[in-house]
Amino acid sequence: MDDRDLVGRARRGDPEAFTQLIMQYQVPVYNMALRMVGRPDDAADIAQEAFTRAWEKIRTLRDAPFKSWLFQIAANLCYDHFRRGRRYGEMPDEETNKVIGLGIATPDPQERAEARERNRLVRESIEALDPDMRLAIVLRDVNGMAYEEIAGVLRVPLGTVKSRIARARAQVQEHLQQYPDFFPSTREDARAE
Amino acid sequence: MPSEPRIPTEPTLEELSAYLDHELDDGTRARVAEHVAGCADCKLRLDGLRQTAYAIRALPMETPPRTFTVPATSRRSVRWAPAGWIGGVAAAMLIIVVGVTHVPFHGPGGAASTGTVRGGLGQGAGSFAQGAPYRQVAPLEGSMHYAPDSALSASSSNSKTVMDQSSSRSLTISTDAASYHASGVVTFHVTTKGLSAEEASSVRIFLMRETGQGGYLVRLAAPSNAPAFPFDYQAAYSIPQMQLPAPVAGNYTLQVTIDTSDHAGLVAWLPLTITP
Repeated sequence: MDDRDLVGRARRGDPEAFTQLIMQYQVPVYNMALRMVGRPDDAADIAQEAFTRAWEKIRTLRDAPFKSWLFQIAANLCYDHFRRGRRYGEMPDEETNKVIGLGIATPDPQERAEARERNRLVRESIEALDPDMRLAIVLRDVNGMAYEEIAGVLRVPLGTVKSRIARARAQVQEHLQQYPDFFPSTREDARAE
Repeated sequence: MPSEPRIPTEPTLEELSAYLDHELDDGTRARVAEHVAGCADCKLRLDGLRQTAYAIRALPMETPPRTFTVPATSRRSVRWAPAGWIGGVAAAMLIIVVGVTHVPFHGPGGAASTGTVRGGLGQGAGSFAQGAPYRQVAPLEGSMHYAPDSALSASSSNSKTVMDQSSSRSLTISTDAASYHASGVVTFHVTTKGLSAEEASSVRIFLMRETGQGGYLVRLAAPSNAPAFPFDYQAAYSIPQMQLPAPVAGNYTLQVTIDTSDHAGLVAWLPLTITP
């Protein structure tokens, strides 16, 4: 069953259909919020509030794709988070956190430690972006959305999406270049022998 | 006098970045490709952007620290809801709870069926009859074991344990592999600790996949007569019997959810890959 069927049923007041939409989108929405605000508890609060508002407003959703609409709600909540003066929170060490999507973890402690450090530096570089650029690159490189889908979430022209993603990547690259031991191949001045 | 081969105009940062994402029109894409092929500097710029994108994409997908629910105190009126049904948090937690003893299956061998939700659990839940919009699949005949030896959990490289905040309750899921052929069989093991019988009986197991057009899920039927303490269960499910939409190959998530008395819930995910 695709989103349209579930959304149709949810619009008629079927909480089970909406629960299935939650199950489908809880991981991507939570991870988007997490990369935006940094702290797992804040991200979970934002995700829950996004689902709550979506449930309350779903009857107003007409032809727009549910996914873009839901992410739009979550993105606005992330902006609200910063407007309230909340800062980007420090992410706990992933070793102690619950992680999915990694497949089989490497058993080598040194490799694990290096992977953790690489991830920490990437998170740090994302944190340094302004929220508009951060959201664009998170939707693209964390959530894997197409540019048109991102334009729908951000309600900006495609050219703006393209520009924000490009500038965000350039800034992240500049940040990571400071750590050539971890990111040797992001260096523009690296020359093949 | 022969002219120098002409290298197309140098691409902008935006064009290089969009080129990586296959987000350029055909003409621009061809121009960028032609230029990059003949320009070492732009090739390095492109490689740098590509590695940067890869570094971000390598960030792990994190498991939410709690389950998300349809709000129980919604301001929205739910016209069809039976009286008192939506009055508490517990009701919200019951929305997708299916009394597994009521789920009809097509007999032994694990034929799939589109199940019917016959009712919720708990006080005041009432009952409602609606077609469950997900396919339900029974375990292969003879594959269910209660309190099995812990060989699968101990040997599995694909395993996840989640605990509540006090670490008094835990949920562990393990599979016998991380990747399966489309004609294969998924065997998994679910173990809980510290749960009440009611909590353990709320177990729900889904195989989910998100696609560009949304997602879909298949419910893997849990045992109907699970022992209360400890909940320790192993079963095998045929992938063909799940009748997954084509293309079947891809990345999936096995999700196990258990409702807890404090409404925080326990939910564990495991990534699975199905190959052609």
